[in-house]
Amino acid sequence: MSTDGTIHARAIRKSFGPKTVLKDIDLDIASGEICCIIGPSGSGKSTVLRCINGLENVDSGVLKVNGENFGYYETDTAYHALPPKKLAEQRTRVGMVFQQFNLFPNMTANENIMSGPVLVKGQNKKQAMKRAHELLASVGLAGFGDYYPAQLSGGQQQRVAIARSLAMDPEIMLFDEPTSALDPEKVGEVLAVMQDLAKKGMTMVVVTHEMGFAREVADSLIFMDDGYIVERGDAREVLRNPKEPRTRAFLDKVI
Amino acid sequence: MSGMDPALKPRLRRRSTFEYVAWVVCSLVGLGILISVSTNPNFKWGVVAKYFTQESILRGLMLTIFLTLASMALGTLLGLALAVMRSSNIKPVAATAGVYITLFRGTPVLVQLIFWFNVAALYPNLSIGIPFTDIGTAIDVNALMAPITAALVGLTLNQAAYMAEIIRGGFTSVGKGQIEAADSLGMSAGMKMRKVIIPQAMPSIIPATGNQFIGMFKETSLVSVLGVAELLQSAQLIYARTYETIPLLIVASLWYLVMTLLLSYPQSKLEQKYSRTSSRIPRRAKKVVLTAPEGMAR
Repeated sequence: MSTDGTIHARAIRKSFGPKTVLKDIDLDIASGEICCIIGPSGSGKSTVLRCINGLENVDSGVLKVNGENFGYYETDTAYHALPPKKLAEQRTRVGMVFQQFNLFPNMTANENIMSGPVLVKGQNKKQAMKRAHELLASVGLAGFGDYYPAQLSGGQQQRVAIARSLAMDPEIMLFDEPTSALDPEKVGEVLAVMQDLAKKGMTMVVVTHEMGFAREVADSLIFMDDGYIVERGDAREVLRNPKEPRTRAFLDKVI
Repeated sequence: MSGMDPALKPRLRRRSTFEYVAWVVCSLVGLGILISVSTNPNFKWGVVAKYFTQESILRGLMLTIFLTLASMALGTLLGLALAVMRSSNIKPVAATAGVYITLFRGTPVLVQLIFWFNVAALYPNLSIGIPFTDIGTAIDVNALMAPITAALVGLTLNQAAYMAEIIRGGFTSVGKGQIEAADSLGMSAGMKMRKVIIPQAMPSIIPATGNQFIGMFKETSLVSVLGVAELLQSAQLIYARTYETIPLLIVASLWYLVMTLLLSYPQSKLEQKYSRTSSRIPRRAKKVVLTAPEGMAR
């Protein structure tokens, strides 16, 4: 991990029309930290993730990703939106894995993985292909490079999607319910890849309902409800002994 | 009720009384029309046969084919540009395309064709040059808007508006997740359009374009009002001389029918090909051998 890999947020607010989905969110995620965000649907946990990657803009507050103001530059009086090129550059340093995989169906697994390095970074194809093979092998899919997404199972597609994000050499990886769309028996293979990644020191923020993964892999845990962070702390500690009644009520139902 | 094995007895479709009646009525009506058409001397089938492959008719057919191909090609290109503009999040750009599409889809093609033919009444001279200098030339619009030019301009500009909506419909059929995936990789707007959106929009754009193509082939007959000697006008020129109106309209109609039938075969093939996209596996995927390589078991 080259430069930073940290996320800092102060008093982030975000509304969709009249509905406020993030209310004064503070975050401090250290380099190499594995942070799981849990909570009921509609609690704002996915929105937090999407803000860190610029898929949504925050309305107010401070958001620093990899040590830089994300998507904006700061002057004495305001935050000004960055030009698209700058924003794209910042985004390449934050990988995003989606619930629905979102592989490009018109490209093979190799082409999907190479799309970032070749199309965005202008890397030469041969090098990118070599890297794609290595990445596929690292997610347990060596030899699947010429397959189209439709020829792969959900678990395989999600692993290709992880490889595609990794191909950009991001400092931070965001996972938005990466196993929620999978057959129960395919969940393990994706979690295993994520666990490997965690061991390599990648900063990871994972929105998930997999409490087992949170317990075994995560350093910290955040419980969100109704746009607020209700409780946060050491993952195992929060899961074993939640302090807030709302957290306890939620955990009682899902575990 | 012989000794036939009950398991082998065929199961017969039930025919309603209406079905029998329909057969009888339609057969009688069809036969009546056929007899009338073949025995009525006013149809002059001999004249139809004589002119069917006559040189001026064939030249008219060629011009019709040319107008169809040219206005489809140019209209599709312009339509693509309009669709990209319409999807832009820069308001004035999107609005410009919106106004264009509304105007050209909201008025009849025939009116548009006559308008372009007479546009010289509005702007007699068109000067091309660098503003605030003397460099440049003036073009006489009346001479420029010859019937064939007006026909091409009119058909192209109209077609572009329809193609723009078809292409934009294709763009919106591409899932939001695809665009987010491209964004999260840091793709620029142009890259996203070329590598992600357009390839995936094709399955819905291509069959619709085929339909437009067939429609355009028949629509070109409208330019006969401008005196362009395409298929219909070629027929009209002959019957203006010989007064064999119906036989020559039959000649033109038969050619339109033949061409439309010829085009509808590839069109239905295209539709079949692109309706099988639920699996979303591109054609060239076939070279992949579908056996499990190592790592499958994980």
